[in-house]
Amino acid sequence: MNTPSAQFEIVVNGVAHHVSSGWHSRRLLDLLRSELGLVGTKEGCSEGDCGACTVLLDGEPVVSCLTLCAMVGSRTVTTVEGLNSDHLERFAAGCERTGGVQCGFCTPGFAVMSSWLVDGGTETGDDSDAKLLEGNICRCTGYQQLAEVISSLRTISEDPTGAAP
Amino acid sequence: MSNQVSASVRDRALGRARYAADLVPSGAAVADVVRSPHPHARVVAVDSTEALQTPGVLGVLTPDDFAGVTIGRLIADEPPLASTARYVGDGVAAVAAVDHKSLLAGIAALRIEYEILAHATTTEQARTLSVDIHNTAPGNIASSFSCEQGDWDAAIGRVVEWAEGTFENAPVPHAYLEPRATVVRVADDHLELVTATHFPTALEEDYREIVRPWGTDLRIITPEMGGSFGAKWEHPTHLVCLAFAHRLGRDVVMVTPRRDDMIAGRGRLGMKLSVAIGADADGRLVAKRSRVESDNGAYSGHGSSVTVSAAIRADNIYRYEAVRASADLVYTNTMPSECFRGFGHPQAVFAQEQLIDELASKLGLSPAEIRRRNAVAAGDVTIHGWQIGSSGLQECIDEIETRIEAHRAAQTGAAQTGTAKSNSRFRTGYGLATCIHSISSRAYDPRFDRDDVKLTPRPDGTITINSGEVEIGCGANETLRTIVAEELGVAREILQVVFGDTEHGPYGLGNFASRTTLFAGRAAIDACRQLRRRCAEVAASLGLAETSVAEVIGAAALTDRLNELVVTGRFEPDNVVLPESSAYGNLSPAYNFAAHGCCVRVDTWTGKVVVQQYWAAHDPGHLFNPPGAHGQVIGAVTQGLGMALTEALELDPDGMVLNPGFLDDRVPTFPDAVPIEVIFIDIDDPAGPWGAKTIGEPPLIPVPACVANAIHDAVGVRLRQTPMTSERTWQALATRETMP
Ligand code: FES
Ligand code: FES
Repeated sequence: MNTPSAQFEIVVNGVAHHVSSGWHSRRLLDLLRSELGLVGTKEGCSEGDCGACTVLLDGEPVVSCLTLCAMVGSRTVTTVEGLNSDHLERFAAGCERTGGVQCGFCTPGFAVMSSWLVDGGTETGDDSDAKLLEGNICRCTGYQQLAEVISSLRTISEDPTGAAP
Repeated sequence: MSNQVSASVRDRALGRARYAADLVPSGAAVADVVRSPHPHARVVAVDSTEALQTPGVLGVLTPDDFAGVTIGRLIADEPPLASTARYVGDGVAAVAAVDHKSLLAGIAALRIEYEILAHATTTEQARTLSVDIHNTAPGNIASSFSCEQGDWDAAIGRVVEWAEGTFENAPVPHAYLEPRATVVRVADDHLELVTATHFPTALEEDYREIVRPWGTDLRIITPEMGGSFGAKWEHPTHLVCLAFAHRLGRDVVMVTPRRDDMIAGRGRLGMKLSVAIGADADGRLVAKRSRVESDNGAYSGHGSSVTVSAAIRADNIYRYEAVRASADLVYTNTMPSECFRGFGHPQAVFAQEQLIDELASKLGLSPAEIRRRNAVAAGDVTIHGWQIGSSGLQECIDEIETRIEAHRAAQTGAAQTGTAKSNSRFRTGYGLATCIHSISSRAYDPRFDRDDVKLTPRPDGTITINSGEVEIGCGANETLRTIVAEELGVAREILQVVFGDTEHGPYGLGNFASRTTLFAGRAAIDACRQLRRRCAEVAASLGLAETSVAEVIGAAALTDRLNELVVTGRFEPDNVVLPESSAYGNLSPAYNFAAHGCCVRVDTWTGKVVVQQYWAAHDPGHLFNPPGAHGQVIGAVTQGLGMALTEALELDPDGMVLNPGFLDDRVPTFPDAVPIEVIFIDIDDPAGPWGAKTIGEPPLIPVPACVANAIHDAVGVRLRQTPMTSERTWQALATRETMP
């Protein structure tokens, strides 16, 4: 076992941060929001129900409210701020077109999930988008629009010209 | 449509929108409230000695620090910290510390001694409770209302059929995604309260009275609001944070943990309605009697007004000749209630629309026909004095009827070819329900109902639009930009909207009753007209001919005359009156209407109800943002389906909330989404900006009634209690006499 060093490294959105070892036993969500100032990731429930705090760990979604920094290890963290900007712009345009954003508190979580789904997140199982998005609660929009946004983003990503439908 | 994404949508989608908890100044103290574990108990002593010695703890507040202070716009009954705890979760002390760890240690070190009092968790218990929950409310009645309109005896003389019943609705938490969060920043001579609220102007008025004696002043800044649906108004946590900031001379933040938020947040009023409706031989609804019993919880919020709304609002959609209504708002030792999208109306519609279906079947009329025959129309003055300026109700009913018939025909066709889902186990049925909504309510503030919008041209050529209203996620921001851009003939890009900053903002009564589009929209139009006039004057005096608003602003900036172009527009409708104590009077400049329909499938073995298709027809007038309006309807219907089928705050006999979480309450999640078709009837209202009414609340209102009517159509049982869980449906099926 390694002796605990005073600092450890954590890679967020492609940038390596050196943080004090005290963070090992604290939540990734707090590190992102209060230490790194990445407040796009939201805290809605603190217990894994709502998905507002979703981030990607080596490309796979996790709820950062139930993830200790120690669990991150050498994997890289991607928050809404670090998503591909073309993807984000298309996601935003889709939300505008469908009325898929209201209060916006859940939206960063859906932005992260949309990126994962469009990058092939569904290919590992038979689950539908709705099932895979079960862990992301939106109290405002009623989901139908977000389903539309994600399926249209998938169409765009499958179209090599990248042209919007 | 341009592919330019509006800034407000883009900011949210990219995670750049900032909510209160995102705006914590570094070095801010963290605070939290210590909550009573008892439903009703006197706080005998708070010993903070040990807590104050805990490393990192900065301060403790107790009820004594707020002696004599209560909040509540309609009934001021809620203390910032309670010397008598009135529900499990009531705040009885507060701690501030340098960080969360010290905060938790400080809270654990606080010694609070209680004297347990008898408690009531239901209105029935409260009526016979040996003690009063508030000494201002003997018998635990917070408020009472009664009225009679029309000639009752004459009306009932013509009744040939009555339908009556008692209906119950469980309290439902608002379950907004952003937990309650408050930041207070200490400025030189004032405190800055940063929090999401529906009514910053009112908040400032009320809190200023409280902080002025401390020798300080106040400014309210509203960041983005992460959902509210009627929950976020005044709140004790605001005053706790203000007091800590003042006392410690240090910025303070408090974010209520989700579990606490669902125990001590707010919820829809639980209600019991006993209603009877009588019809004449022609199927005219002539008389209606309602008795409402509302569960206020421990403190009132807007409960008294919501209860009046539940007693009378639904009467205004049909041409009743006489109505009698009475209502009591009863204190219980449960979570305080608050208005919630629909303002008591979903509960009343749940009763009314089921009884009307019963009358239709007794009289041999279709559900659509009985409603068409009785619907109020433009030009009507309703039984409670509402002046209907526009109505698309008939059209809404027709649209829904057409869709139901087409769907039914397709299902029947499928049945004949043997592919239908209706068989002995699964039954399909259709429901229809309607609603009316009053946009704003003159009764809300006895002084007036009005709105101001201020336009400030800037040296860089941009224009700031200040409104005392707030953006609650419904798109008010973009609506105002659209109106101002069009009225002034300027590009949207130069317009910036600032909501709810009480230092710079003009008067706004608040975002409720879905009134912002109409009120702020009309005030914005007035402001634009004033600005155009001023521009013409300035242009004339500078010798400029035929110039655009943008050019005059440029010229005024160069000649140091921009201040002449700062204008404040106002809308104060002249046709509304402060209703009488009987609630009679035109309380809103416009009203909107809706009809909903749905197809449900009921599993007769398990009682599970699945909504297979939903249709929502509305008459919102001009739409400033069609996709946004569409999204509002889908979202509201989905919230309504939560209320209809799954959601309820459950309490144990000692007043403890048993399900304080999103999934324990069972808010709808992604797989619960059902296909919803939205239909907008294009009818402009004479009072609205460009004919616009509004959309926010109405699409939730008919949902529980619509589903209940469909369940009855499918399996012949009447569900008179929400949520209509599988268990309740199954039990109703188990005791029913015959299958239709
Ligand atoms: S905050 Fe992490 S799932 Fe809700
Ligand atoms: S937009 Fe408000 S919770 Fe999703």
